[in-house]
Amino acid sequence: MRPLTLRKLLLTCAALAGVLLLMVFFSLKFGTRSISMFDLASLLYHSAMGQSDQVSSDFRLIVLDIRWPRILLAMIVGASLSVAGASFQALLRNPLADPYVLGVSSGAALGSILSLIWFAELPGATPFGAFAGAVAATAAVYFLGRRGGDLDSYALLLGGIITASFLSALIMFLMTTISGRELRGMAFWLMGDLSTPSPVAPGWLFLVLVVGVGAIYTTAADLNLLLGGEQEAMHLGVDVVRVKLVVYLGASVLTGLAVSVSGAIGYVGLIVPHLVRLLFGSDYRLLIPATALGGAIAVVLADTLARTLVAPTQLPVGAMTALVGAPVFIYLLRRRMA
Amino acid sequence: MKTNHTRIWVAIGWMLLSAFSAPAQAAQVAPATPPGPPVAPAKAAEALVESHDDLGRLVRLPAAPQRIVSLAPSLTETVFALELGDRLAGVTDFCDYPPEALTRPRVGGPINPNLEQIVSLHPDVVLATRAMNRRETVEALERLGISVYATDARTVDDVIASTRRLGKALGAEVRGEALAAGMEQRLAELARRLAGRPARRVFFVVWTDPIISTGPHTFLADALRRAGAESVVTVSQDWPQISIEEVLRQNPEYLVFSGTHPDDPQNTINSLQKRPGWSSLEAVREKNFAVVSEALDRPAPRLLDAIEDLARQIHPEAFPTAPAPKPREPGNARGGRL
Repeated sequence: MRPLTLRKLLLTCAALAGVLLLMVFFSLKFGTRSISMFDLASLLYHSAMGQSDQVSSDFRLIVLDIRWPRILLAMIVGASLSVAGASFQALLRNPLADPYVLGVSSGAALGSILSLIWFAELPGATPFGAFAGAVAATAAVYFLGRRGGDLDSYALLLGGIITASFLSALIMFLMTTISGRELRGMAFWLMGDLSTPSPVAPGWLFLVLVVGVGAIYTTAADLNLLLGGEQEAMHLGVDVVRVKLVVYLGASVLTGLAVSVSGAIGYVGLIVPHLVRLLFGSDYRLLIPATALGGAIAVVLADTLARTLVAPTQLPVGAMTALVGAPVFIYLLRRRMA
Repeated sequence: MKTNHTRIWVAIGWMLLSAFSAPAQAAQVAPATPPGPPVAPAKAAEALVESHDDLGRLVRLPAAPQRIVSLAPSLTETVFALELGDRLAGVTDFCDYPPEALTRPRVGGPINPNLEQIVSLHPDVVLATRAMNRRETVEALERLGISVYATDARTVDDVIASTRRLGKALGAEVRGEALAAGMEQRLAELARRLAGRPARRVFFVVWTDPIISTGPHTFLADALRRAGAESVVTVSQDWPQISIEEVLRQNPEYLVFSGTHPDDPQNTINSLQKRPGWSSLEAVREKNFAVVSEALDRPAPRLLDAIEDLARQIHPEAFPTAPAPKPREPGNARGGRL
């Protein structure tokens, strides 16, 4: 492994942030109604200067009240899922791990269905139900994955898969037996959807993102060693038990965050970390921030495509990421095998 | 150069601030209409009238809304029936009746309508219905300062009341009253004709692979009852999957198909006659099939046509003077494809 310099870290992140900024600009510009560069620039300028009365209220509504919150959500979700994916891949030492492999998304889906059955009249019940479900599934898988006080990667993986399929069965049972008029949007939500604004301010979501990614980042150097095997890492002085716990909790919180506001957006957590590794190497000290930015770029791009390709109809963003993600993934897999 | 940088930082700061303050903003705008619709400030002077929608929400609208966006096929049909079709500024991708509805701008599907598109249509009011739209959509529209009027018709009687109320809210009270009275009168006439005749025991075929029918609490089941039909399905789910054994055990007198079945109903009927299980059903052997238009499951004034059509097919003896609808080759409200 070539040594990582601070210079390389900062340059890479700055470059990715630049791409993200560009992507955000294009996402603000394109939509059902395309807005000219000049109008967009003047809109952003006047809003920033507090002279919002200078711009057409139509543009302001579309760009600032519809597109911008959605882009914020896309960035937060993309960053969460990608970092969670990279973390699970290290934790389970399995390149095929994604944020949903340990049943978090099934838990979230079950939680949101239960919230629709029990608290259908409460606004914003779905994301809270989803988050509670994600936490519950995480806890269940954690206890299944414990062996003598330590998280065992294989027990964790198997426990996660069993939990996921058990919860999916419960979901199918509920969806076919309960005659809830509210469950209609469910299938849509399971595909991953960013069109519904989150009832929680994006600022708070961002805070959770920063805390989650920050916690995982503190273990970045240890994760590099952990990739060589747990025994080896332990001999090198890594507190393996603590590292695994922090990564597991951090990645689960990030996944729960993403799932509760946007449903299950597939492939982002799988593809982005692999692409970032391919481009910048697999040092987790660089991988984690680069993956966060890359995930944000990927989901903003996917969502921009999802809402412009067949406008005014919108595709669920999850369909878009799977459509692009699956072929990329197959390509990577073939390359690795070759 | 320095001022440029300041501006960029101010812009970034503003975006961050707005990220944290989004819900506060939402709370201010939460009532159905903010002081003066922000989409069209010119109209602010126009007097707003308060009406209650089907959900009991207070909605503030202009006395005669000029720009209406409909988020469901049934609402589009009702607006046309109220002779306000020329005020429909937008409809969903599924709004196919009357044919003129196809010429209106599209706003996407009922579950995920395109908010940008709706905003750029400058609606005075958006019509939503509980059966097809999501609460999140309604909340998002209100947050953008757009009035949303919601309907919720769960029975045939609800449709009449709902039409009357909507007519009043849209400034077409006389027409709404006439429509409602017409529907009431036709229902009374139908009830008179069917009086004393036992309800036909029918099996409504929503789908054949797997067999899906309708539960007793759906709008469709109520429409069937008004046509002198009783569904043999008694389970409480709305769209239950039924085994062929159960259909055989119930031995329905008629199989009822809707014109919206993806296959031509005649193809389905032909293939059922050759399939084991189905072919031994008495209704299949006797060719007791009834085919009605999709209007039977749309809470809109055209529903009455479908109810009468079904009644003629399954109770032909109650319509002695009617222009001979042959019992074995039922007419189709959509134009007699059979």
